[in-house]
Amino acid sequence: MHNLSTVVRFEITRTLKKKTFWIAALAVPTIAGLVGIIIFFSNKATHDQTESLAKEQYAFGVTDDSHVLSPLLLKAVKAEPVASQAVGEADVKSGKLEAYFYYPKDISKQSVYVYGKEVGLFQDSRYQSLANQLLIQSAQASTSPSIRAILKGDVSYNASTFDSDGTVDKGFLKVIAPGLFLVLFYFMIAMFGNQILTSVTEEKENRVIEMILATIKPTTLLVGKLLSLITLALIQMIVILIPIIIGYLLLHDQLTLPNFDLSQIPIDPMRITLGAVVFFVSFLMYTGLLMTLGAAMPTAKEAGSLFGAAMALLFGPLYAASLFVTSPDATIVKVLSYFPLTAPIPLLLRNAVGNLTVQEASIAILVLLATTIFILSIGVRIFKFGALEYSRKLSLKEILRRKA
Amino acid sequence: MEKAEESIKNTPLVSVDHFEMSFGKTNVIKDLSFTVSKGETFGFLGSNGSGKTTTIRALLGIYQPTGGTLHIDGKPYTVDGTVRLGYLPEERGLYKKEQVIDIMTYFGQLKGMSKDDAKTWSLDYLKRVDLVDKAATRLDKLSGGQQQKIQLGITIMNDPSLLILDEPTKGFDPVNRRLLMDIIEEHQQKGATVIFVTHQMEEVERLCDRILLLKDGEASLYGTIDQVKEQFGNQIIEVVSEKTIPEHPTLYTVSRREGSVTTLEPKSELHAIQKAIINAGITFTRFELKRPSLDDIFVEVYGAKAGKEL
Repeated sequence: MHNLSTVVRFEITRTLKKKTFWIAALAVPTIAGLVGIIIFFSNKATHDQTESLAKEQYAFGVTDDSHVLSPLLLKAVKAEPVASQAVGEADVKSGKLEAYFYYPKDISKQSVYVYGKEVGLFQDSRYQSLANQLLIQSAQASTSPSIRAILKGDVSYNASTFDSDGTVDKGFLKVIAPGLFLVLFYFMIAMFGNQILTSVTEEKENRVIEMILATIKPTTLLVGKLLSLITLALIQMIVILIPIIIGYLLLHDQLTLPNFDLSQIPIDPMRITLGAVVFFVSFLMYTGLLMTLGAAMPTAKEAGSLFGAAMALLFGPLYAASLFVTSPDATIVKVLSYFPLTAPIPLLLRNAVGNLTVQEASIAILVLLATTIFILSIGVRIFKFGALEYSRKLSLKEILRRKA
Repeated sequence: MEKAEESIKNTPLVSVDHFEMSFGKTNVIKDLSFTVSKGETFGFLGSNGSGKTTTIRALLGIYQPTGGTLHIDGKPYTVDGTVRLGYLPEERGLYKKEQVIDIMTYFGQLKGMSKDDAKTWSLDYLKRVDLVDKAATRLDKLSGGQQQKIQLGITIMNDPSLLILDEPTKGFDPVNRRLLMDIIEEHQQKGATVIFVTHQMEEVERLCDRILLLKDGEASLYGTIDQVKEQFGNQIIEVVSEKTIPEHPTLYTVSRREGSVTTLEPKSELHAIQKAIINAGITFTRFELKRPSLDDIFVEVYGAKAGKEL
């Protein structure tokens, strides 16, 4: 295609020179980094405070009418036995003790009383915390290790479910690889949708289109813009992902981030292939649709009003996400999966959770492909005939009637 | 040698044959035929809305004709063909948010130049028009006149063999108008073919070898300027008088009044007209028989409609 590489290079270079591109790309990792730093310092401060509180020694007294507390524990923590609640309260008020805890006879029905010297709004809770810890540790000390584990929630489980062929089912891990296409599609449309829509109105608004059309074919310009947008989307994704991955590797321990063992993620070639094909055709179809809408409108502002409608069709099915997972045979699921403008999300989601058959996927892909070809051919016509309509919207009838 | 040059000059570079163009029920061009020879400067004239721009767009393949053929160098124009085109459209503009040098280099590349050549050429041109210090400036930071210079530069990049200028002086300040005329003359001297779409008669008389006047979708007058004046036929009489000269349906018609100057189209002998005016009690300081100017012809062809639009 004559001059295609020149168009692609120009479109990519001029976008990469724009500050807004880098601001948009770097905003995600920057915000993620800032949130990480806040979490890190918050965790550190809490940890430091907990440690300092644990180290802090203060004189406290206990009256245990419940007989639940372990005498050994009370001795170990240097709790001073106090004769009665009234004495303990008086000792705290006079400053003889910093804290005093009264455990009544039946702690299941009566409250435990906690008295303490005021040490600040956020630190006064330490007394109640200690009173509670004394109860928990005493209870644990009086039971078997198993009961202790149950009480502490430390029981570990090793569950296995089996697929129809007898192999161990990988559960949620199976969704990850094919599900990436859904995430990628959502990300690319959300980040680039508006840019795709307005990319074709620029030449019209700047009145440069006539000079361009005397130098290159409209198809070259459209395909050039399409290729450059895809390339820019990939660049932006890399710009977003690299700092996040580096941040994950560097701050994994400090932020106590979860472990990802990539070797555990199952790779199902069929689902990944279907996901890739549905993703590619859907992206092409929506890019073509957005470009066509943009070409039909005289200005970016007017084209923008159609963006909401296109996005409602595309992302509307997300509201029925649970239905796609649980009831793949429901009529509404079938309709949304085969109607081209709503199909991408249902197809990618169903493929991710594994309830999209190869036969269903093949039919849907053919429908998407046919729609894409139709939209792109209409788009080229609209662009060609609408390019010089600086202030007028073309009707579909007019476009179809004109000689190609 | 002269014969060979003449032969090249007579070879049509552009040929439009029975061109028709309709938009819906509107018939913009009914039946238009003309040729433009290599190295010729051709004036394509008409009032606003007469179909000049439509014809040019169809010639460049931007519009598909409803009927007839439009050829450049023997075949329909394609962007990847052999003709080096310089086109300055009526509706003009450039990428506003990009640097001047980037825009010029991009268009140079689209026109077939290498990136380095396009950049070097652009810098030379910017030096010529005193804008070299603006090479790295965003286009929308330049004044309107400076942007016009950039547009002109882009039009003549890669040494076009066919220059199509649609209303080139529209919105141009006098400095840029002068620059444009110099550029056209330079390209004429280099042997380029120039199609000059306009209704500025003064420039047409100065630059064009042949002209075509488009009216109601057809060629109203077509040929060299002399031939057109001849085709137009009637000579005119210019009379300078203090009093208004009345109409006289049998001896003359008044075609124009501008202050004390009245233009008459004679229908009878000069002495009969003179006598009739004197008998009406009007004294004149000038009574001159003239060939009509292109301006007169234009006004005559397009009448009151053109007068209003101009």
